[in-house]
Amino acid sequence: MKGSLTLRVSLAFVLIVALSAAGLGLYLYRAFVGEIERRDDIALLGKLRQVQQLLGSAGAQALLQTRPQYFRDTMSGQENSLVRIEDAHGQVLLDINAPGEKYPLPPAAAAPARTTILAWTSRAGAPGQVAAGTAWVDGLPVRITVARVYADRTAMFARYRRQIVLACSLAAMSAGLLAVLLLAHGLRPLRAIAAHAALVRPGRLDSQLDSAGAPNELRPLIVSLNAMLVRLHDGYTRLSGFSADLAHEFRTPVNNLLGQTQVALAQQRSPDEYEELLASNVEELERLSRMVDSMLFLARARQEDVATVRQPLAIGEEFARMRAFFEGMAEERGVTFDDAASGTVLADAQLLRRALANLLSNAIRHAQPGSVITLAATVRASAAGQETELTVTNKGKPIDAHDLPYLFDRFYRADAARSGEAGSTGLGLAIVSAIMQLHGGRAEVRPGPDTSTFVLVFPAA
Amino acid sequence: MHILIIEDEPKTGDYLQRGLRESGFGASLARNGREGLQIASEEEVDLVVLDVMLPGMNGWEVLAALRAREATAQLPVLFLTARDEVQDRVKGLELGADDYLVKPFAFVELVARIRTLLRRAPVREDDLLCIGDMEIDVVRRKVRRQGQPVVLTAQEFNLLYLLARRQGQVLSRSLIASQVWDMNFDSDTNVIDAAIRRLRRKLDDPFPIKLIHTRRGMGYVCDAEQGQ
Repeated sequence: MKGSLTLRVSLAFVLIVALSAAGLGLYLYRAFVGEIERRDDIALLGKLRQVQQLLGSAGAQALLQTRPQYFRDTMSGQENSLVRIEDAHGQVLLDINAPGEKYPLPPAAAAPARTTILAWTSRAGAPGQVAAGTAWVDGLPVRITVARVYADRTAMFARYRRQIVLACSLAAMSAGLLAVLLLAHGLRPLRAIAAHAALVRPGRLDSQLDSAGAPNELRPLIVSLNAMLVRLHDGYTRLSGFSADLAHEFRTPVNNLLGQTQVALAQQRSPDEYEELLASNVEELERLSRMVDSMLFLARARQEDVATVRQPLAIGEEFARMRAFFEGMAEERGVTFDDAASGTVLADAQLLRRALANLLSNAIRHAQPGSVITLAATVRASAAGQETELTVTNKGKPIDAHDLPYLFDRFYRADAARSGEAGSTGLGLAIVSAIMQLHGGRAEVRPGPDTSTFVLVFPAA
Repeated sequence: MHILIIEDEPKTGDYLQRGLRESGFGASLARNGREGLQIASEEEVDLVVLDVMLPGMNGWEVLAALRAREATAQLPVLFLTARDEVQDRVKGLELGADDYLVKPFAFVELVARIRTLLRRAPVREDDLLCIGDMEIDVVRRKVRRQGQPVVLTAQEFNLLYLLARRQGQVLSRSLIASQVWDMNFDSDTNVIDAAIRRLRRKLDDPFPIKLIHTRRGMGYVCDAEQGQ
């Protein structure tokens, strides 16, 4: 239960509502009690003043002795009003309603105030208040004590307290219940997300979560989940497309191997024919083997599991090495090189050569006979710092605009008819791109009106 | 020279044994690690070709056992692996293997590696190499055929010199790319073929005896005789 959001939030709600209701109740109770007590005290003092005035009137002495009943009638508005009048010697002159009660002795003054009122408990055990004052009866000082019993009032306060406690408990309970209901409602979009997530399968990655009606707080979550689904869908589509491509690419050499071997075995052949068959088989197998190697390289590059030793390499030297390597092939195709580059680039020697070799071999294949392939290096300032660009430009038929985004994809061949060409695995540019990613850079293509420029962009050291 | 092949895959084992015998080596074949260790201790073995993925006792364990025994501690071991993982290679070399090849590999590549390990490859380091009517002055980097100078570019000379030093040995295209241009990866094979064609145009075309021969599916060989 520790993990239940509903439980925790509901308990917090209950606690908050209980505390605030109790606080409010206590405040109101205090204010109510204070007000009632103030009124009662004023009434008590009023009663005292009334007695004082009565005693101060002419003939009070006679009246007190001859008609105590009159006093009684005047004073006993309420059963619980107790009045005692004593002379200076403590002789009780009059004792109304509760003869024999023992009072505390509040200080007696001509004009008593609330501060002189004392609490008192009657013989019956009921709480009460006592006030005292002085008066002159026919020139003699008397002491007046007025008291009141507040049994009703105490009972009322107790009832009031019980009501407050009850109200607080009810408020807390309803808050808890409300919290449970609100959370159940508020978490409904989350349950919808969970239900949707439970339905996600490799083939159904493209269905998006509905953010309509979801609260603002959950919207970023839904947006991120949707973005994640899109990425997964992309990756999955690419991966399954890639497996299909791979199988397709393997089909041609395997088909050749199977077919030509079966044809050869169908009847007796001369040793020369068998030799021819085997040599042809070896060529197909080498193609498969190269494809497997390239695939493994790409897979490892993707996991960044290719050891790279980056060191400063003289660009001029690397270009010269490439030119020397491709000398024969370029000559056969009637293509020449133009390279003028200085400076260094920070790269892994073998990987850089592999990338350049792939670009150059492509450039020679696509160059117009008699044209010049230009190798160049430039340093450009970019937002990320100084970037070094190595470019390979060949003249020839421009690359179709709709091919451009896919040139660096595996097995993408702009020229479908060329897919069977020996030596072409359709992975050359994908490897170039992977090599550049291993260097933290990128490979680009910049088409011109009658040229194609492939660019290796190395980031600042 | 006797080579012990430890390989469980039947076809691989058979062709390795046959190929190595035809390349002039004695070859024994063990189908598992235990059998291999037994042969290594009983027979005169000069080199072991060891597959890493063996049933039961794997290649690493065999390698460790070979290194642990005094008699076989120095025996050159070339291991074959199907997994081109850096850790795999590092592990093999740490355990004391001398070289490795990743499957699939070219058979001529294996033979070249074995020859290097046995240090018996007939690499000629003379100042003057003569093959048929060709003379190569290594110091001056000059080539003559029938006494007439043949003018080669620096790349062409390097290529010819590599083939001539390994006279009679078939060199694969990837070995040539690696040795002549320091391109240690599978590059466009047309590049090597074009370079060989260019060399032939200058070296062989004007003369009746051809020195550079194509071994289809394997590579190139330089020899006075056509061979087979």
